[in-house]
Amino acid sequence: MIRARTFTDARQQSHNNAELNWWIFMRVSGLILMFLILGHVYMTFIQVSESDATFDAVVNKLANPAWKFYDWLILSLSLLHGANGARYSIEDYVRSRPNRAWVKGIFYTVVALLFAFGTVGLFAI
Amino acid sequence: MYRGREGQWAFLLHRLSGLAILAYLLLHVFSIGSFIFGERFYMTIHERYDLWPFRVGLLFVVAGVVYHSFNGLRIIVMDFTGAGVAYQRQMWYVVLLLSVLAFVGSAVSLYPRLVGGY
Repeated sequence: MIRARTFTDARQQSHNNAELNWWIFMRVSGLILMFLILGHVYMTFIQVSESDATFDAVVNKLANPAWKFYDWLILSLSLLHGANGARYSIEDYVRSRPNRAWVKGIFYTVVALLFAFGTVGLFAI
Repeated sequence: MYRGREGQWAFLLHRLSGLAILAYLLLHVFSIGSFIFGERFYMTIHERYDLWPFRVGLLFVVAGVVYHSFNGLRIIVMDFTGAGVAYQRQMWYVVLLLSVLAFVGSAVSLYPRLVGGY
């Protein structure tokens, strides 16, 4: 994990390219997600109520390929961003190496299954 | 626990809000994605969300997302500009103010839904 205040520090601290790439990914995906998710929250929570999130509404919305792509972009970026953020937390707080291995193993499996589930849901309909 | 200044609290809140949003996201992907199991399965889950803890909880989701995104912007500004680090405390108070406004704003505009149900 990188603890850096500037990009130059981050580059010096990273032990390998993957770690530096994740550091950059968090900033870039975060910026993109900000627009995608604030728009999503506004359209699906502020503008309409939870009672409008009916089965038919979801199916109708997903009939449009543009919304499929929008939702899939949120799904993949947010799961990657969230999984990497959780990885930082796990590496900070789960101190023993064997515990860390199985905590990460279970966590990554859940995220991967959910990503597959969400993708199938979006494109199978 | 180490009690530092604003930067430490900003870090802690960013991490907590991030983990909370992740927990919400995992549940959200499952419950919305469950529409592939058919309408009955989907509605069985979604009728539960009319319970008041879920209705109020959505306000915290909004405030958490706003905090996490604007504090994320603050982090990006700090990381990529030299001047950003000098103003990180002031920027954090702006982020906090925006999150409180988002919480209060959505509580006010959604008040009828919160007390009356969806």
